Amino acid sequence: MDITLNVNGRPEQFSAQPNELLVERLRDGLGLTGTKVGCDTGQCGSCVVRLDGRSVKSCLVLTASAAGGEIATIEGVTTRGGELSGLQEALRQEHGTQCGFCTPGMVMALGELVDATADGPAPTEPEIREWLTGNLCRCTGYHSVVRGVQRACAAHRDEVPAGSAASTAAAPEV
Amino acid sequence: MTTVTGEAPADRGGVLGQPLDSREDPQLLRGEATYVADIDLPGTAHMAILGSPVAHARILSIETKAAEQLPGVLKVATAADFADVMPLPCIWIPGGVESHFPPHPYGLPGARPVLTGDTVRHVGDPIAVVVAETPRQAAAALAAIAVEYEPLPVVTRADEALADGAPQLHEAVPGNLNAYWTCGDKDRTDAAIAAAEVTVELDLVNQRTINSPIEPRGAVGDYDPATGEYTLYASTQGPHNHRFLLAALVLGIPFNKLRVIAPTVGGSFGTKGYLYPDMPLVLLLSKALGRPVKWVDTRTGLMNSTVQGRDHRQHVTLAGTRDGRITAVRCTSYANLGAYPSTIGPGVATALMGRSISGMYDIDAAFCEVYAAFTNTVSLGAQRGSGRAEAAFLMERLVDRYASEIGMDPAAVRRKNLVPKEKFPYDNGLGWTYDSGNYQLNFDKAIELSGYADMSARKAEARTRGKRLGVGIATYVAICGVGPSTRMSQEGMLGGTWESANIRVHPTGEVTVTVGSASTGQSHGTVFAQVAADELGIDPETVQVHEGDTQKAPYGQGTYGSRSYSMAAPAVALTARKLKAKLVRAGAVFLGVPEDKVVYEGGAIHEEGNPENTKTFAELAMAMWYGWGLPPEIEPALDETTHFDPPDFNYPFGTHVAVVEIDELTGETEVVAYTAVDDAGNIGNPKIVQGQIEGSIVHGLGQALLEVAEYDENGRLVSADLGHYALPRAADVPFFALDKTVTPSPHNPLGAKGAGEIATVPPAAAVVNAVVDALSDLGVRHIDMPLTPEKVWRRLRGESQ
Ligand code: FES
Ligand code: FES
Repeated sequence: MDITLNVNGRPEQFSAQPNELLVERLRDGLGLTGTKVGCDTGQCGSCVVRLDGRSVKSCLVLTASAAGGEIATIEGVTTRGGELSGLQEALRQEHGTQCGFCTPGMVMALGELVDATADGPAPTEPEIREWLTGNLCRCTGYHSVVRGVQRACAAHRDEVPAGSAASTAAAPEV
Repeated sequence: MTTVTGEAPADRGGVLGQPLDSREDPQLLRGEATYVADIDLPGTAHMAILGSPVAHARILSIETKAAEQLPGVLKVATAADFADVMPLPCIWIPGGVESHFPPHPYGLPGARPVLTGDTVRHVGDPIAVVVAETPRQAAAALAAIAVEYEPLPVVTRADEALADGAPQLHEAVPGNLNAYWTCGDKDRTDAAIAAAEVTVELDLVNQRTINSPIEPRGAVGDYDPATGEYTLYASTQGPHNHRFLLAALVLGIPFNKLRVIAPTVGGSFGTKGYLYPDMPLVLLLSKALGRPVKWVDTRTGLMNSTVQGRDHRQHVTLAGTRDGRITAVRCTSYANLGAYPSTIGPGVATALMGRSISGMYDIDAAFCEVYAAFTNTVSLGAQRGSGRAEAAFLMERLVDRYASEIGMDPAAVRRKNLVPKEKFPYDNGLGWTYDSGNYQLNFDKAIELSGYADMSARKAEARTRGKRLGVGIATYVAICGVGPSTRMSQEGMLGGTWESANIRVHPTGEVTVTVGSASTGQSHGTVFAQVAADELGIDPETVQVHEGDTQKAPYGQGTYGSRSYSMAAPAVALTARKLKAKLVRAGAVFLGVPEDKVVYEGGAIHEEGNPENTKTFAELAMAMWYGWGLPPEIEPALDETTHFDPPDFNYPFGTHVAVVEIDELTGETEVVAYTAVDDAGNIGNPKIVQGQIEGSIVHGLGQALLEVAEYDENGRLVSADLGHYALPRAADVPFFALDKTVTPSPHNPLGAKGAGEIATVPPAAAVVNAVVDALSDLGVRHIDMPLTPEKVWRRLRGESQ
């Protein structure tokens, strides 16, 4: 079937099998390999992209059902070698990635949280943790990721981040 | 707040010890790093593996014709196609014991064929492969391969595999017993236990777990008929070791015809250092088809094929006095090696565990015996903290049992038995000689930081909210820095376990460091640059680090057992020192002064007492590149290599305290506070180590609360996807309170000890101790992991285990 998608602001037209997964189209069809595949049952979140603004697991979305949609992948967040987004920069400062395999999915999922809360109060630590339950990370133990989100939200609001390494007793001195 | 008991590198004012941002992170955060699944060589064909659906059976026939006819299929291969390929060897058989293995042609222990043709021994055992134009076509064709099986009886537990009449896995291994291995002094220990005022015993199950890096494994083989060279891209922790194993011991091809490249690797925690059938298969099939062949595992595939961890059933005994002095510890363990000996699994299940059981305690008599058995399960291997976590678990559970038996505070019992500071180096009587330590300082710091003194008040408060609060302590010593090659050979390891580094200074003063190790997410590029820059007195921004390609890097074993910073980083430091020494010798010529008047400082040289007579690092680099005016005994260029083999292991240690709350209605256990004080000697980059410690603790909490690789009676892995195998999620853990002590190791020039995985060692013990503490008034003395709500709820209702 013929399908049109808008991927990172670029219109893409192609024909796809009805059972093709969005993640296959992105990785194999369009060469956007920043989106990762960590499981085959929709549990790990490595494949998260944004579809019409909402973060979705692209291994659970059929390409056909996304037809006409706006897709944002990690490649669309910044250019290759380009300046990091506010969220990415905050994660960098908190060392919120180790092997990096879960990271693109985390950045995409957390991007929605940061956007959704941009005009209100910053998300609390439990809210951030709850938001992250769809993304598995085996390296970091999540703490640096949570601190990164806190830092990103605080930077956005010109505040000192609540849970950052610089400001809490939980901040380990290792 | 940090107490430093030795020279901390940060004190020298250099860049080592500073929390520099990881230079790898931006690329990872932008999703630009290339993992094996992202490699797309022109003309690539795709491989899929048919794993056995049954745990134990004789293969009567395999019919591949239908699969061969399917669209896109290029080749279907079975064991018969690889008759001249050697089986995958095991290179760590426990030292000093009689060991039974199915044979490998080189007289090595081995057994696992690249594909099995006659008998399958676990679900997932590879039987056939399909190569097709697309991954989907390859996977679809697997379904068209018809295999006829004659079922055989199944055994999945080590103790049951050793019983009379148990199903037999390997003809060469009578009774399924791979090895009976011991360490320590049996007679002395038995006597101490017999004579003791108090003895306590426990039967423990250290359940099987699955490492579960988020990146599944993958491999791309690329044979070049023009040169006869093979290239393997693989998600590996040790490209050099894989090259050795594959070239010399499996394929039987010249070493210099195989290049192994580790691209960015998405976590490993022990599992990606092993040799798997897919590695030789993609190489052989690439040669056969004249195209690159690529294979990427699925999660379910990984769970049924990649080495699993832990899996000991133990009977353990501790003896002591009424006033809290431990006099003996004894462990009898049944270790489940799975269906085949993995690359180093048998060593992990014996020496790493057995020699570590006495932990931080000064115990007069200790003994451990391990029966390592084959069963119809996935092969056993390393899992973050492997061996040492199993040891800490049994010891720390025993100490709590003992404390409760004699009515003494568990912290007080531990404090009383710590190895005293004056006793280092300390021979633990089980085969390890601990290098250095200040256990009292470390222990006291953790106890204080955790607020241990206030726990009874907190327990009372929790009860008003329908919660039972419990506190659990666990200490540990983790052997790291594998290793001294000769010592490892005594343990039964085949192969040198040293590490190496090369530093090349370019004409314009920039520096390239190349190491044999290979990162799986530990920011080696950042830390090794810090080491070189610190030694040379230059800006780390001018240092690039390369690793993970056997054609470009010097040899090295790779990253495992938390070894890179205490094995590869010292090689970097020693190489930098060689360069400095050369610059001093050559500097005498350039400055026109005797050698002993040349001072190397801050990345430049000057004449002693005459700072005007100087040359910068960049000037020296250019001068050495030109080589003009150098005497014959000084070679031009700045390019040095070091192979570092330490005199002995190093022994990080620490104390963790878990506080849990159990919901009296649901049995749910929540970790509400967690304190960890770890001692990894001198640390190169505290920010990076902090991340590893946090991740390690969460991994350990996973074993305590969530994770179990569960096999049903037919040998089927029930928990074969991430819906059934529960990994910790962000909402499962609180922030931790972390601190450190610093006791440098004397066994390497950086005073470093292992760090990466050490904090995985104690959490399971700390959490189970905490839960048993919370339930102790109900008479609960032990609960097996994982501590699921149902299990805890049953105990709350008074049911026994
Ligand atoms: S790949 Fe795991 S959730 Fe999509
Ligand atoms: S950084 Fe490795 S899985 Fe998250």
